[in-house]
Amino acid sequence: MNKMEKESGIKIPMDVKNGKNTDLLTKFPLLKRILKARSFQFIIILPNLFVFYVIILAGIIGSPVGNRNIAIVFIWILWWFLLIAIMVPFASRVWCTMCPLPFFGDLFQRMAFIKVRLGKTAYLRNKMFGLNKKWPKYLTNIWIQNIGFLTLCTFSAVLVTRPFVTSIVLGLMLLLGTVMSMIWKLRSFCSYICPVSGFLSLYSSAATMELRRIDNDVCLKCKDKGCYKGNEKGYGCPWSEYMGTMERNNYCGLCTECLKTCPNDNIGLNTRSFASETIIKGYDESWKGFIMLALAMAYSVILLGTNGTIKNWANAPETGNWGGFFIYAAILWSSALVVVPAVFYFFAYLSKLITKSTQSVKEIFKTFSYILVPLGLLAWIAFSFPLIFVNGSYIISVISDPLGWGWNLFGTAGFKWQPLVPDYLGYVQLILLLTGLGFAISRGYRVSLNIFKDEHTALMGLLPMAGFALLVTLAFLTFFIG
Amino acid sequence: MKNMNIKKVVIIITITLTGALAGILYFNSSAKPIRRDIVIKARQYSYEPNRMEVNVGDTLYIKLLALDVMHGFYLEGYDIDAEIPANLSNFKVRKPSDGFNWKDTNEIVIIVTRGGKFRYRCSHTCGTMHPFMQGEMIVHPNHLFNGGVGAVIGFVFGLLWLIYKKNKKGHDNE
Ligand code: SF4
Ligand code: SF4
Ligand code: SF4
Ligand SMILES: [Cu+2]
Repeated sequence: MNKMEKESGIKIPMDVKNGKNTDLLTKFPLLKRILKARSFQFIIILPNLFVFYVIILAGIIGSPVGNRNIAIVFIWILWWFLLIAIMVPFASRVWCTMCPLPFFGDLFQRMAFIKVRLGKTAYLRNKMFGLNKKWPKYLTNIWIQNIGFLTLCTFSAVLVTRPFVTSIVLGLMLLLGTVMSMIWKLRSFCSYICPVSGFLSLYSSAATMELRRIDNDVCLKCKDKGCYKGNEKGYGCPWSEYMGTMERNNYCGLCTECLKTCPNDNIGLNTRSFASETIIKGYDESWKGFIMLALAMAYSVILLGTNGTIKNWANAPETGNWGGFFIYAAILWSSALVVVPAVFYFFAYLSKLITKSTQSVKEIFKTFSYILVPLGLLAWIAFSFPLIFVNGSYIISVISDPLGWGWNLFGTAGFKWQPLVPDYLGYVQLILLLTGLGFAISRGYRVSLNIFKDEHTALMGLLPMAGFALLVTLAFLTFFIG
Repeated sequence: MKNMNIKKVVIIITITLTGALAGILYFNSSAKPIRRDIVIKARQYSYEPNRMEVNVGDTLYIKLLALDVMHGFYLEGYDIDAEIPANLSNFKVRKPSDGFNWKDTNEIVIIVTRGGKFRYRCSHTCGTMHPFMQGEMIVHPNHLFNGGVGAVIGFVFGLLWLIYKKNKKGHDNE
């Protein structure tokens, strides 16, 4: 429990001190009542669970043609867009609030949909079923997620076009999550394995919303620690976060348990400015940033690009060109894990050179890697706009014929594919990229001040990083509109 | 405080737009309009040529061929959608703005009026990678891209300059 003992030296985040944030729960008492209800998470997961079930089924028994199958259209067009362009930037990990994947795992551990069981399980005051093993210390990072995500993405050309593959992958994730909940404590699957979780954690740190304690002193004096240990009102934090000191969005799955368990009503849902959390804790997080950036570039070339050869390489299961696939995979992995980080390292080195700082290049590299968050997130949003604007009309047709079997439930099955203002998306993408660049530089300066202390040095140290951000932005600009 | 922020925003926007303008003017090109005869071959899952560069004012005479299965040809920004049966020189074409009035033809004629990047996409489901089958027509001068590059560079300089000014001011006050 040393995690809890360390709580005395907490720093209050800048934005809280300024009192700039608005607590949505104070502003909207109804919202507070809803979130505090024990049944809240269950009720919001339930419809998703149903859709999830339909999607898995559709992938298996429905049409193998991706754009005629709800599994592909709903997951890779609708869900993906909502996730990356709306949920993550504005509402942090709100997807995790409603995600159906851990449903059966939670159910197993709690043996209840809603009810709370008191008891004793390790430090928890709840009775939890299963083995409740501790997750191994050396895996307490997001490296598995990094590698898992990169692996999945290597097969993305297959994943996003074959309903069957999408179903199998989702099904396996559900199964793995459930099995893991029987062995390891709480949401070990979510925290360390779920491939979606990695980028949700990284990018949600930029979100304009946060769930936090309201008053530090109340937490310091609090004996109950219900948020962490659970009590009769709810379960201890399934993500093992302790609200009394939590400073970042990254690993809070917004499950709303702590809202219920905190006996002092000391938790608020704040709005805040974009990208206001500027801390990268470890190399695992830095690399997540590199992987995401490299993938956004790779997809811009492979999926949104025009070159048929690369498409055939990525699509080896159909073309049989496994040699090409190997080249493509090798390029993808080496750029994500080595080349992009190496380029960034070079810029970090320049930063040290210019500032003549005594800080190690590694430290500069890691701290500055925060700029990958706004840069990458906005690039991903810019990348995702064409997906929904160009292929969004499939949502209309597939909703009437989810399995591609010739049904016409709502009379919209015949709706022809019709891109929406495709020739103006470039303007939107330009503005999005500029936004990412702007945040990368302005937040980069804040980060730089943390590294170099005095303002002049901070600005000098920022210059190479601004150069990196500029190059990345120009690259995306060329992919999108050049 | 508020006024300061507004002033900053105005400065940034001005510098960014100046950059955009500089980009547009610097890369501006005016080629003499010509006639171009183009044959576009569609094959799972790309077009050949996959990228064509033309100039504003050009007249394009486009023939479409599908070499394996039936493909489509939906050209952004020019209100053209075609369905190309495999291995035939004739194909069907329509104006999407005008519904489903398909016409049989063996050539599309386009007078290029707008600069920019316009993608042509397959509009007829042709296999697994169909949703990603596309080519691009770059029409010079591509003001959006040229201006975009200028804007991005201007924006970076603007931001850095503002930070520099702010630091200086902070020191002067000390
Ligand atoms: S971490 Fe993954 S499995 Fe867990 S709730 Fe979030 S998206 Fe779902
Ligand atoms: S239970 Fe409430 S008051 Fe106590 S530590 Fe947790 S958030 Fe703070
Ligand atoms: S801190 Fe823990 S209990 Fe509270 S919402 Fe986040 S994940 Fe749930
Ligand atoms: Cu096609």
